[in-house]
Amino acid sequence: MNNETKTLKEIITPSNKEVIVIAEQLNNDVRPVTVELLGAGRDLANKLGGKLSCVLLGYELKSLPEKLISYGADIVYVADDPVLKNYQTLPYRRVIVDFLSGFPLPPHIVLLGSTTTGRDLAPRIAAHFETGLTADCTELDIGPYEHTSKGDPEKLGLYPGCLYAIRPSFGESLKARILGPWKNPQMASVRPGIMVPLQPDNNRKGEIKKIPVSLKPEDYKIELIEIVHEVSKSVNLSEADVIVSGGFGIGKPEGFEIMKELASCFENSAVGASRKIVDIGWVPYQHQVGQTGKTVRPKVYIACGISGAIQHRVGMSKSGLIIAINKDPDAPIFKFAHHGIVGDLYQIIPELIKEFKLNKAKEVRSLV
Amino acid sequence: MANIKDIFVLIKQVPDQGAKAGINPDGTIDRAKAKRMLNPFDRYALQAALHMKKKYGGNVTAITMGPPLAVEILLEALEHGVDMCYLLTDKRLAASDTLATAYALHKVIKHAGHFDLIFCGLQTTDGDTAQVGPQIAERLNLSQATYCEDFKIEENKVIAKRVVEGGYEWIKMEPPALITVANSYHPLEYKSLRGARMVQQLLRNESEKAKYIKTINLDDISADPLKCGLKGSPTIVARTDKVSEIGGNCKIYQGAPVEKMVHELIVSTNVSEFLKT
Ligand SMILES: Cc1cc2nc3c(=O)[nH]c(=O)nc-3n(C[C@H](O)[C@H](O)[C@H](O)COP(=O)(O)OP(=O)(O)OC[C@H]3O[C@@H](n4cnc5c(N)ncnc54)[C@H](O)[C@@H]3O)c2cc1C
Ligand SMILES: Nc1ncnc2c1ncn2[C@@H]1O[C@H](COP(=O)(O)O)[C@@H](O)[C@H]1O
Repeated sequence: MNNETKTLKEIITPSNKEVIVIAEQLNNDVRPVTVELLGAGRDLANKLGGKLSCVLLGYELKSLPEKLISYGADIVYVADDPVLKNYQTLPYRRVIVDFLSGFPLPPHIVLLGSTTTGRDLAPRIAAHFETGLTADCTELDIGPYEHTSKGDPEKLGLYPGCLYAIRPSFGESLKARILGPWKNPQMASVRPGIMVPLQPDNNRKGEIKKIPVSLKPEDYKIELIEIVHEVSKSVNLSEADVIVSGGFGIGKPEGFEIMKELASCFENSAVGASRKIVDIGWVPYQHQVGQTGKTVRPKVYIACGISGAIQHRVGMSKSGLIIAINKDPDAPIFKFAHHGIVGDLYQIIPELIKEFKLNKAKEVRSLV
Repeated sequence: MANIKDIFVLIKQVPDQGAKAGINPDGTIDRAKAKRMLNPFDRYALQAALHMKKKYGGNVTAITMGPPLAVEILLEALEHGVDMCYLLTDKRLAASDTLATAYALHKVIKHAGHFDLIFCGLQTTDGDTAQVGPQIAERLNLSQATYCEDFKIEENKVIAKRVVEGGYEWIKMEPPALITVANSYHPLEYKSLRGARMVQQLLRNESEKAKYIKTINLDDISADPLKCGLKGSPTIVARTDKVSEIGGNCKIYQGAPVEKMVHELIVSTNVSEFLKT
């Protein structure tokens, strides 16, 4: 085995060693996932011995490029233009494809967030360059790869400096390491809320470069007609110790009352909700937990009548103790909860409320 | 009114991970033994295509790429009311990643003729990338709208509602366009009686069946084999590791009287202790 690896020839595919993060901005601020990507990208660039850069598209971006530098970027490429104010597939695609085509040697790595924007845009860019793209990664690294497979002999060789794109697969029961070293850029989209941003440092030096925006008539085939952003306020999900969340299993809007009652058994508690019951209007958006709602990390999370879809899970899976109540024993939520009661929430919750209240009374008594 | 008549829907057969059969101890799937099903996310795409047809008329064509057995999901689609199907099956497609899959499927789409709209599922439960749809749109130079939970046609434009972070947005597109359908769309309705009867007949008559389900290979669609399968795939899965679920093993309380289950839960979780930490 060892002898064989020594005979493998080393293959270095052309690249300029640059690691590029494609930024996301909204309402004149960068999205959290962008600074997380810069944290991860910094580490990759250091390992490769290359630069970390960031591409920022938008309108009236003001001091955002400096902010990206403070979070670790060596170079920020900026396209500031009214047509780029909001994300739209075709104009963003055009600017980024043109930009990436402009390098004499392709960048080594391009990273995007696994958001509804990143997952809309990344596959188009990857398909344009016919390069590899790994979706929804939870870990990234750099390392060598020996390709020994007899299936495609022309790829045989030892590839140094590959992007290891690591992601869950098969319902999160496996972790797959996916590589594509034969062609650069090697691309990945990264799940929000996982990578750790650097501490911002206002003394960091970096370059800011403008990039051209030249759209073609066919880039206007899609028109954004309305954006509805439900502003979240006042529900203190981020700081609560205990969150009681309801899903479609509550069956009716009034069902949310019983969630509130259960939450009221604890100090510093809040009520959360799945997107489904927000969408049908049973509960205001401020309560939504998940990919397109809030990411929460309470000590205790009680999920009632929530199936546990991945988009909900990513918003609450870091909770200390997860208790699930669901009448379906095969509900995905039982795959990652710590404790699960199978049954009707309308029978279980009143009993839980009774027990918690009783416990509290006992505690109070033991204190006096 | 609407000039949107030819609708394609892309569906995939996936292993049924709920069924225990064919799931290896290390968590990987033995595709030969695993039970098969229509990708759950593609049920919404299929429903979207059928809704369009119901509302605006036209024809729905279902397309899949997979092993010969994938004909099962095409028969299922016929039962639900699609008009025509294509099955792309070829040994040279084995080990295709999303880029290679999208390449092959875009060739099928070109082969299948005129279309106004293509519906895809949000993602598959085995590939789980949500990439194939937009990659096809790129190859075919189409307008696209991903994560959509509502759509309509107005003055020959497609209006779609995208689910996004913090809310949603409405976009208007010129056809031809590709739409990926969110799982908040309407669930797939029951099979139509007519469709079910027709499929019963097709099963008894191979030549009739071949009229509704066109089985094709890479040569039929003049696809470049070097852009398909292992050779055409820029990514490979270099290794997989089993992960212990983040919640460890969920402790399940089931089947006992409610009071007993709740009491046990409270004793063993000791929430109040947990809150002190
Ligand atoms: C782009 C995108 C972003 C998304 N973002 C989010 C997000 O941020 N947050 C989010 O939550 N979702 C999000 N979703 C939606 C997500 O995919 C799921 O559709 C949603 O989380 C399902 O909500 P649910 O669990 O309440 O409903 P369902 O999936 O319908 O589950 C209801 C559950 O209740 C159980 N049940 C029914 N009756 C009872 C009863 N009497 N007692 C006990 N249990 C009962 C059922 O067994 C079932 O498991 C997003 C989807 C997309 C496409
Ligand atoms: N082999 C296939 N045959 C037909 N459609 C597919 C295939 N693979 C993916 N798709 C379509 O692309 C969507 C996204 O798949 P994926 O990128 O694998 O998550 C699916 O929901 C299908 O609509």
